[in-house]
Amino acid sequence: MRVWLPPLVLAALLCGLSAGMPALEPFFQWVQPDKQRVIYERDSFLFLLQNHLLLVVISAAVGTIAAVAGGVFATRPSGRDFLPLVSQVASIGQTFPPVAVLALAVPVLGFGEAPILVALILYGLLPILRNTLAGLESINPAVREAGLGMGMSPFQVLLRVELPLAGRVILAGIRTSVTINIATAAIGSTIGARTLGDPVIAGLVNGNTAYVLQGAILIGLLALTIDSLFEALERTWDHRFSPQGAA
Amino acid sequence: MPVSRTLQRRIAPNRVIPVLAGLALLVVWSLDFGTIQPNRIVPGTGHGLLSATGWFGAGAVTLVLAASMLLSVLPLGVRYVPLLGLVGLSLAMLPLLLEVFAARHLPEGAPYARSAIGAGFWCLLFLLSLVLIEILGRLRSGRGLQILLLVSIGGSWLLLLRGDGLESLSLVREFNARPDQFEQALWTHLALAFGAVAISACVAFILALKMIRSPGWQRPILGAVSFLQTIPSLALFGLLIAPLSALAAAFPFLETLGIRGIGWAPAMLALVAYSLLPMLRNTFVALTEVPDNLVDAGRGMGMNERQLFFQLKLPLALPVIIEGVRITTIQAIGLTAVAALIGAGGFGAFIFQGLGQAAMDLVLLGALPTIALALMADAVFTMLAASLRPTPATA
Repeated sequence: MRVWLPPLVLAALLCGLSAGMPALEPFFQWVQPDKQRVIYERDSFLFLLQNHLLLVVISAAVGTIAAVAGGVFATRPSGRDFLPLVSQVASIGQTFPPVAVLALAVPVLGFGEAPILVALILYGLLPILRNTLAGLESINPAVREAGLGMGMSPFQVLLRVELPLAGRVILAGIRTSVTINIATAAIGSTIGARTLGDPVIAGLVNGNTAYVLQGAILIGLLALTIDSLFEALERTWDHRFSPQGAA
Repeated sequence: MPVSRTLQRRIAPNRVIPVLAGLALLVVWSLDFGTIQPNRIVPGTGHGLLSATGWFGAGAVTLVLAASMLLSVLPLGVRYVPLLGLVGLSLAMLPLLLEVFAARHLPEGAPYARSAIGAGFWCLLFLLSLVLIEILGRLRSGRGLQILLLVSIGGSWLLLLRGDGLESLSLVREFNARPDQFEQALWTHLALAFGAVAISACVAFILALKMIRSPGWQRPILGAVSFLQTIPSLALFGLLIAPLSALAAAFPFLETLGIRGIGWAPAMLALVAYSLLPMLRNTFVALTEVPDNLVDAGRGMGMNERQLFFQLKLPLALPVIIEGVRITTIQAIGLTAVAALIGAGGFGAFIFQGLGQAAMDLVLLGALPTIALALMADAVFTMLAASLRPTPATA
């Protein structure tokens, strides 16, 4: 249970800071003495945090479902023809810079939350897809055949043998994807999505370092919280599955 | 029998290309192929494939896609070579369709009118590229052919885009309005990205040596650099502003050097920080995974430690280190675009300026070269790593 302590502490710190930022006014007054307003007030930090998190969670959920489905399809006998292309796309796609993908979504979909969600889903899909393929491909065919020999249907083998064995690698892919998407969603405030990037951008435009600091600290904390959450998840996974996994 | 197996593989119909080509037919006939804008900001009127390029253009596109579908399912002995020719040539000639579109629809005597690329064209380009990747994969083509193909398609695009026929294309207009700025952005972008990679390569090398000599340092060093990697780019850029401006205020001579809260200094610092993890991880793994028996063999030949390092370990580790440089460079090129937000310049400046003015072609003028740079860096370093890989010795 000790593994869950860091994410809990960080999450508490994140929520506390988001709610209690105005209490730090003297500090920010000291950082930025020449400005009247030193606390970002256009939206509450809690609202921005919630919106930011929502974008990341939705894109991670949709991306995971799509990527795992795609990875499973490309490794079945019926979809095997597509495997070389899918794995090529997964690796070439990751060469594209996230900012550029975000920028390309705007001419097609316009400003606001829709283009950023599409960009996050499409871009976040790639690391999960690559890891799903790697995880499923690395399973010893003998294990699959043993499942079939025990009388399992191919679907049962997939659900009860292959996906659990590949799960750890897929989880690592989701972690990479979410880390990238938290950063990309922050930049998304330049295209009209309301995220924790807003105070940073507003501060950069108005030359108000206090705004920049508030946004940057919260974005950094959010990233650390989520990352430590995945760390805890991975440890728990290893703890539960490693004795059987060795067999 | 390897020969008959090869034959069978070639004769077996391809199911991937018909799907991609069918999808391309669907989107190219249903989405807008291009738009005509009366000026830079006003949204234009869209034109479908038939209206945009006439019966001749629409027929050519349909014919190429149908032919590639047929070529991939008919029982043929040679399938992929003619497909490669067909698809490669179509990709190279694609801008001609835009030229036809501009010639047919651009109003006479309207100097500000411009033609813009529509979703249909982008989708066609994307799907044709996928078909090309699939063909190259099936042909098991060597790097040489791939590079040759990429260079000739890219060259044909550049030639057509620089020609008179596409002068009205909005992307070309945006470029022609600021050729000097574009060149400056290119150099700034390259200087920032490659400068950061070079610095981080040196730092990572020293850190890796330190980690090898004293294993106690491994956990703290790796922990610190992966912590840095977790912080989102916008946050790290933002967090560096306050300390650097304080530094510049305290030591005015630093400010004359350009070290301020915004500009190249925080950008470079953040880029180096991000570059450390992939670089350090690969350098460390590469240097520690040189097989022991090879080191013993070298020692047995009378090499001293210095010779062992420079003549044996380093050459063997080089391909993996270059792989680290590849990942780092691609990442740095993307992050440099973000650094434009704190006034570091580069192609990101066009992206964010375009987003601010709702001028989508300016956004493209920043985004497309950034992607092109990343793809080129990927190709160059992949080739470099492959050429440095020593021929495998028989174990």
